[in-house]
Amino acid sequence: MRAPAIRAVGLLSGWGRGAAAVPADAARAAAGRAVLPLERPAVTHERFRRSRRECLLGVAAVGALLEDAGAGTEAIGGERTALLFATTAAYAASNREFIEARAGGVYFPYTAAAAVPAEVAIEFGLTGPYEILIGGPTAAMRAIARAAALLESGACDRALVLAVEIFEECADLFERARGRLARPLVEAAACLWLEPGEGTLGFDHRRGGRRETGGARQRLGEMLACEPVAALALARDNEGAGLLRLQGAWCGESARLAWSQSPYWMRGAARPGRRQIA
Amino acid sequence: MFADPERIAIVSAGVVTPIGQDLDTFWSALLTGADGTSAVERFPVADLRVGRGGEIKKLTRAVDWRRVPDCRATRLLVSAADDLCVQAGERPLDVESERLAVVVGTALGGVEEGERALSGGSARRLRAALYDSPARRLARWLGARGPAVTVSTACASGATALALGADMLRRGEVDAVVAGGYDILCRFVMRGFDGLRSLTRERVRPFDRRRSGLLLGEAAGLLLLRREREASARRLGTLLGYGSASDAAHIAAPDPNGRGIERAMRRALAAARVGPDAIDFISAHGTATPLNDPIEAAALRRVLGPRGATVPVNSIKGALGHTMGASAAIEAIVCLLAGRNGQVPATLGLEERDPACDLDCVQGSPRALRPRVSLSTSLGFGGCNAALVIESA
Repeated sequence: MRAPAIRAVGLLSGWGRGAAAVPADAARAAAGRAVLPLERPAVTHERFRRSRRECLLGVAAVGALLEDAGAGTEAIGGERTALLFATTAAYAASNREFIEARAGGVYFPYTAAAAVPAEVAIEFGLTGPYEILIGGPTAAMRAIARAAALLESGACDRALVLAVEIFEECADLFERARGRLARPLVEAAACLWLEPGEGTLGFDHRRGGRRETGGARQRLGEMLACEPVAALALARDNEGAGLLRLQGAWCGESARLAWSQSPYWMRGAARPGRRQIA
Repeated sequence: MFADPERIAIVSAGVVTPIGQDLDTFWSALLTGADGTSAVERFPVADLRVGRGGEIKKLTRAVDWRRVPDCRATRLLVSAADDLCVQAGERPLDVESERLAVVVGTALGGVEEGERALSGGSARRLRAALYDSPARRLARWLGARGPAVTVSTACASGATALALGADMLRRGEVDAVVAGGYDILCRFVMRGFDGLRSLTRERVRPFDRRRSGLLLGEAAGLLLLRREREASARRLGTLLGYGSASDAAHIAAPDPNGRGIERAMRRALAAARVGPDAIDFISAHGTATPLNDPIEAAALRRVLGPRGATVPVNSIKGALGHTMGASAAIEAIVCLLAGRNGQVPATLGLEERDPACDLDCVQGSPRALRPRVSLSTSLGFGGCNAALVIESA
């Protein structure tokens, strides 16, 4: 399928804002901490009075994306923007609170996986194609591939691929399931802005294959569905040094995404202080 | 919208529902007006305002349950998959295991396993609580070694799953996809909808003047998709088009102007390359809430134009309850069965048509009609809207 070009990336993580905040070695930088949390964004708008932390982080990630693109809300609003959301367990904290009866009925809609993209769609007026995938890095990679397919078909002019993962409220539960997860767990909210590009995008997703160690995850820590988006952000700050391939694995499945040619960053998309890859 | 006009055949289907645990029993029950809602027995509901729903009292398929994890969501999926295999006359399915994918939609995933894990269950239960766990377990049961994908666009999930499955086939990623949706009735979701006062103490009455809310139900519906040029002549129909749209209006309620579902329908028709004049039947979302039905009816009238008053419409939620992630897949199956059998089931519970829902709702008894092209609509929490255009064989 035709490859999408990446216009901008918004990245918020337990390490800080943007790719520049990501350390060289996550395990060393974590200094024994199991979870690197993200603070609940400070918003005062009445509409957000019941919003959950994961929803506000999704909104903040799109805000960071717009800042990265040097664009305003009007650049993405409307029905020509697709929104694809990927997460492994951003819903888990709200589910837990509801199960343990610490949240009343009015909070029930926030237990849905759709709560995060719903808040984002409302905030930015996104009324285009809308899909939500569940899983680890493989789900986010499929979301990127699906966005490419939607762009290629003309169903939209631009696509936002959003991923959010939070861990703090369920840190004890993640500890019980630690066999499947790397350490440290790093909360993140990340968003890609994709538009029609050049060349082709290869996508392969199958059962089998292990998670590769090293690479972006060694720097990022465990970000689950946010990992592919964060890896692209790292690649740009690393001047795109040949990173045209992403690999991810989750629960016995693996996926690969490969851009056939540079530039996969849009011309003119480089931000001040960074060299443009083109 | 699809990039490629390659047609996707729907070869077979399987269901497990409160009114039937195979396709034929389900269809007969729909036609005869069976009501699958009853007092919930599987978990405590005494503290809730409403304790009724479309509960499956006992899973009756002859599956070796020792091979299937003790997870209700997984067991519903396996029941439906077993029916699908029987209907297809293929067990195992006649496709190389690496080329068979599973794509399922759910609103709740394995959330009941989360409830059990939080009451002291094992780490295994915790992993099963992830929304994508039942899809992987279904893939294992089917022997599928292609991708196992979970989507969660709330109550539109089943439609999204069918679209993704079709996309995987069009791009040549796999050769066959078992796609559909599921959700279980559990205390978590009953408490949630009860707290929102969405549940009715009365009968579920889609498009009726006296409608007062929905009842929840549990079910799974799966469809076997293949590229049409590779599918056998024996098939249920073709998936012609899909459209989705976000409301961007409210976290739980539908857009009062129905603009999201209208956009989804128009996109589905465009993807199918058919106009509204081609639509013979509409399987509506029709939840029977005071809010949903007139919004949906008005959107349908706008999309269908002058034909909006004459295209037959039904909702099966009076018979099953709202089966959430399963509903779109099951309603797609209803479109196919209506075309195969030449009858459109009546809308159970509809007695006094609401003038605000100015549609030709099939009421009282089934209508003799063999729809060729049908439209199925779905609306969900978070402003998720989806529509499917389906052609019967």
